[in-house]
Order: sequence, then C-alpha cells, then structure tokens
Amino acid sequence: MSFPEPHVNPDAAAPGVDMSRRSFLRTSAVLASGLAAIAASLSPLRELDDYTSLDRFMQKYYKELTPEEMEKVLQRIAADVERQYGIRPHVRDLKPMNGVEFVYALNLTRCIGCRKCVHACVQENNQSRTPELQYIRVLRMPNGSLDIEKAEHNYAPESVPEKGHFYMPVQCQQCRNPPCVKVCPVHATWQETDGITVIDYDWCIGCRYCEAACPYWARRFNFTKPSIPKERLNPNMAYLGNRPRRQGVMEKCHFCIQRTRAGRYPACLEVCPAGARKFGNVLDPNSEVSYILRTKRVFIQLKEELGTAPRFFYYFDV
Amino acid sequence: MDERPPPARPQNHSSIAWVLRTLVVVFGGLAGAFLLNPWGRTAPLQPIPLVDPSFLDTATVRRSYANLVQAKEDLSDFDCYACHEKNKPPVLRFDAKQNLIIPSEHSDIVMGHGEHGRNNNCFNCHNEANLEQLQTRDGRVVKFQDSPQLCGSCHGPTFEDWEAGAHGRISGYWDRALGPYQRQQCVNCHNPHSPRFPSRKPAPGPHLLRPPISVPTAAADAH
Repeated sequence: MSFPEPHVNPDAAAPGVDMSRRSFLRTSAVLASGLAAIAASLSPLRELDDYTSLDRFMQKYYKELTPEEMEKVLQRIAADVERQYGIRPHVRDLKPMNGVEFVYALNLTRCIGCRKCVHACVQENNQSRTPELQYIRVLRMPNGSLDIEKAEHNYAPESVPEKGHFYMPVQCQQCRNPPCVKVCPVHATWQETDGITVIDYDWCIGCRYCEAACPYWARRFNFTKPSIPKERLNPNMAYLGNRPRRQGVMEKCHFCIQRTRAGRYPACLEVCPAGARKFGNVLDPNSEVSYILRTKRVFIQLKEELGTAPRFFYYFDV
Repeated sequence: MDERPPPARPQNHSSIAWVLRTLVVVFGGLAGAFLLNPWGRTAPLQPIPLVDPSFLDTATVRRSYANLVQAKEDLSDFDCYACHEKNKPPVLRFDAKQNLIIPSEHSDIVMGHGEHGRNNNCFNCHNEANLEQLQTRDGRVVKFQDSPQLCGSCHGPTFEDWEAGAHGRISGYWDRALGPYQRQQCVNCHNPHSPRFPSRKPAPGPHLLRPPISVPTAAADAH
C-alpha cells in the first residue's frame, strides 16, 4: 500500500520504486498512530474479563449437557471461582428428587420483621454486597390491612416488632404457573419437577423480561459484576443455585437448591429466630407444610387473583 | 496543471487515503474521548458495610436448662437445695395487690406469664415438694428436660402445632432419611416466666443507590 497519491508527490522516487523515504515514514507514522488509536478506543473491552472464557461461550444448553460435559462445566466453574476468590468450591449439579414438591409456608403471626432471613440468604447464596442484591424483601404493613401499596420495606426502628404493624417477607413464590418462565426468549429459566423455578446463568442473555413479568418483584439483575468478599464466599455451590454470577444475568431465590436438594432446610428458615418459616415436601402427608396446609388458616397466596398459583403460602396462627 | 483525467489507480489510492485518514481521526477521537472522558465517569459505588455476623447466627433466642445440661455447663444456678431446705416448701409472699414479691435471690425473674398478673404462683408450674422438678396443674410431675409437656398442659393447640412442627423451630434436614433434625423446645425461645417473644434490633434494611422516594409513613396512614 502506498499513499498519498504518488503522481503529484514531488518526493516521488525514481520510476520503479514505489515509495520514497519521506512517504514511507509518513505512511508508517500514520499507520502506527492509527493502530494505537484503534487499540485505545477498544480499551473499555479490557474490563469485560468475565466474557473471555471460550469454553463458557461455546457451552451447550443445560438440558442438552451430557453428564460428562456437565462434569467438565462444573470443573471449569470451580476453577473460575478459585481463580477469582482463592477458594476451591464444591460445585454440584443437583437434580430434583423423585416424589418431592417443595412448598414454603410463612407464619405472619410469628414474623417479627428482624430481616435475619434476608442476610442469611445473601450469605448462603453468594449475592453481591456492593451494590446490594437481596432475594428477600421484608414488607412492613399496618395491622388490619393487606394493602401492599401501604407496605414499607425501608423501616429502621430501634427494635422490632413494632406496635400496630405486621411483617411480610416476600421472595420468589415458585409459582406453578410462572409468568417469568413464559416470557424468557431463550428458555434460560424453567420450572423443575420439584417446583423450583431455576435460571441457567450461562444461558441468560440479561434482557430482564422475566423481571418485568414477575408480579412479586422477586427477580434481581446484576447491573455490575457482583462483589463478594472472599471471607464471606459460601463454597457449597450448585450449578442452578448459588455459584457466583456474572454481570448482566438475572438471579432470584431458588429455595437454596444446594441445600434443599441435599435434604436440608433453606438458610432463611434455619436463621429465623421466631420459627415463622416452614419448608418441606408437600407430597409427604407427614411433613410440616402438609400439616399447615391441612389445619392452619392459610389465607393467601400473594396476588392470588393473577393465577400464578404460588408454592409460597402465608398463614396465621389462631 | 495536468488537464488529462488522472489515471484510475491513483484515484483509487486517493479515496483509500481519505478513508484511512477519516478512520484515524475517528479512532483518535474515540481514544481521546476515553482518555479525557468528557461525559464524566460514573461515581464509584460507596462500599456497603458488611452485615454484622450476629445477624447470621442461627442460635435460638435463649438457652434452656436442657441446653446447658447438654453443653455440660455450670448448673449451680439450678442446684435448688444449695439454699432451699428439703421437705420444706418455700413460702410465697404477696403484696397488698396480690402481686408476688420476688425474693432478692431470684431478682432476675420477671413475672409476666399470662394477662393481668394472675398467673403469679410459682407452684403453678414448679413442684413445691421437689424444686428440681416441675408439675402440671393436675399434679403430674414433669422433669425440666421434658418441659414442653408442662407447657402443653395449658397451651394445648400450640403444643399440638409444636408436635407437628408447625410451631417453633426445627433445623437440620427436612428429609429425615438423609440426616438428623433438631426440634427446639418451648423454653429455647420463650422465657417461661415472661414468655412473650423478646423484641430485637432489626438487621439493616436495603441500602439504596439513590435516596429513597418518600413513601407514606405508617403514622400518616393510621386512622
């Protein structure tokens, strides 16, 4: 390549030679500065270090992965986590159990609004601390009404419970008829046989349609790369559960899949000082939740009229 | 100068040169823009303080006698006959309003079980003949470790719920085939002398990136 125009260039070299010294210097100077300019203008891409893994980019859809491929994916995730946090995690892909359908029941008479569940959840599920991303929102409402328009979730009194109020924690309701699943354009979220609506964080494109579709404000979006302090990372991870997320993907409560599919209670239940939270297999007639649904005043599924049929029930004593 | 139309090749060259020059200017401009950042960088997020680990604690609100026995802790507080005399039931004293006068040795006890202070007799629950045991109103003797039986003798429906797992705390494994579970007793959460569940400081609420939009306060809504 030679430019500028050699035919008007007074420095033009002898016929047969394409380039004079001056035009060569000029050309290379222009070329060098052009390349430097391209490199500099692409510099913001360096911050996208999350996106560099070719393996992840080429990864197949969760439901199409063979067990061997899944094993490789889990190893890749473990290596990624170790590289970023310096902790070797225990990542599993837990499948739903046969004959199990999870149901949550929350006793509104007992909840004191202390928000311990919120933070136990953040700790268990490796959510971002700055900015803060929480799956559970505790609503404070005046007694005698159930008007969510009057709910307040920024309450900060000296001590709870406060007179004249009750508290209603809201998280993913694990609907039988989930609107969020219907709107997902890439099938990155779906309902499993045990009733948990899960998200494949590696398949999510971050369009946030599901967030708009959810009537319970239960889905959260990672606007930034989640920041989790190393010392607070929970190394017990599941693929569809609490493995660290990337920037630009949705997440939400998954009933602590890494615990509940291994037979344990979810973290929010374990930490509740008032025993307001009850969880179990509704297909087992002897489980706590079966007893509650049979005998207690189970008054709502939240926003029942929408026909989402939540698996999260609120009930009262007395 | 030259009247002839320029040959095809050089014309080609000149248009390439123009394109290249424009590109260099564009990229140079972009690079300059990224460096100088004329639109202003978004302010870095203020780190939100980590939540106090006490809010992550799964311990119960209080420790019962059974817990202390289990943990092999100092039980001298429960050695009734270090002070009391055997076979000599303690005498209860009441003031003019029929309120129990709590002896100074037991000053840590707050009597608040039941409305109107009518449940003010220690021996409604404690066994006066053997202070190391409890008794129900119908005379059944209950060990300290089995205290839910005593509570259940009055609070039947709640006891039923507790037995079914609907009242109180159960932790561990929901799938009993996969692991153990632990059911907390009444006195792990309720102080038997004043059983109302204690109030506590709430964990911090959500930290917003922007100041909150004012919401109708509870006071404004109260009628």
